[in-house]
Amino acid sequence: MKMKHILKFTFSFFVLFSVAGNAQDSIQKFPERYGLRVGVDLHRLSKSFYDDNYRGLEIVGDYRLTKKFYIAGELGNEEKTVDDDRLNFTTNGSYFKVGFDYNAFENWLDMENMIYAGMRVGFSSFEHQVNSYKIYENNGNYYGQTIVTPGEKFSGQTASWVEIVGGVKAELFNNLYMGFSVRLNYLISNKEPEGFANLYIPGFNRTYDGKFGAGFNYTLSYFIPIYKKKK
Amino acid sequence: MKKIAFVTLSLLLAVSFWNCEKDDICAEGTPVTPRVIIEFFDVANPTIPKNITDLGVIANGLSEGFAFDGTNKVEIPLRTNLDTTELNFVLNGADNDPANDETITLTFNYERSNVFISRACGYKTIFNLTNVLPTDFTGTWISNLTIEQPNIIDENETHIKIYF
Repeated sequence: MKMKHILKFTFSFFVLFSVAGNAQDSIQKFPERYGLRVGVDLHRLSKSFYDDNYRGLEIVGDYRLTKKFYIAGELGNEEKTVDDDRLNFTTNGSYFKVGFDYNAFENWLDMENMIYAGMRVGFSSFEHQVNSYKIYENNGNYYGQTIVTPGEKFSGQTASWVEIVGGVKAELFNNLYMGFSVRLNYLISNKEPEGFANLYIPGFNRTYDGKFGAGFNYTLSYFIPIYKKKK
Repeated sequence: MKKIAFVTLSLLLAVSFWNCEKDDICAEGTPVTPRVIIEFFDVANPTIPKNITDLGVIANGLSEGFAFDGTNKVEIPLRTNLDTTELNFVLNGADNDPANDETITLTFNYERSNVFISRACGYKTIFNLTNVLPTDFTGTWISNLTIEQPNIIDENETHIKIYF
């Protein structure tokens, strides 16, 4: 399923460039279509099936505001169990992101593809459950490794961040788009729980020592035309 | 503008790889589960530190222990899975002559709590000493034992003083 889309995506991307390079003497004017595009992140969806430690869904959408600018956003829910060397925990929560995309791609003819850069502000509300951890002791473990399974919950965590987005969207066929985007995240606020840390934030992904994080999505979306404008 | 998009894309891609750095190794020097710090003093002169000779410390039921010699300060781990640790303090136990061994079993009773450190280090246990038994040292090589700091939260201070 996913492989098929990757092939389609690659193919249409190839076509996109070859057509773009050859159609310079067009005199026919095509109207620009404006509307709403909604879709789903295929990566999160498929990962929910093949990864037992992950369940997640992300709905994506954008609305074309001007010729180049799109209001864009994502809405999602994730449940992820992180099995690290020294601890195992499950994070569960929801998030949304709003911002804009700027289309830097000059479309030829009636094509409506995008190579874009954008920004988002993301908000996430989530909880952690600590499933098990190991006690770290100096000079090895004289009495043997102590493993604790507390099942302790840390509810009511929140975080917000900004994302710089770069991506592409290509029309596969009538109003159906395939997209890929990568994101660099920077935490603005992060309410750390007492006695644990936000090691994973739904929507933001894994946290590191600093404030940076990264993410990506792989979207399939449908464009609903609302009105047209002459070029 | 196309150039900007391209630069942004490649930058993001680079950063996403660079972000895969290792932060899953517990850095040395991180305060982890503290050991109990015991200092030895001269019973005749209680302010003067006294070095122990060939002190062997071994937990009940274990075949290997710790050996200390020529120091007045020892660090010994407590059990992180039980609220009590029994340790045999064997004077001259770390040398090759079993005839001169003098053993006393000290029982450390405490409350435990586990504290989150980090992703890489996991958790540590800190202790609050309730008591150390026995309190009567008649007939042993120890004359007296005092708990100086019942809260064992790090290894920076002396928790127990032993006079002999």
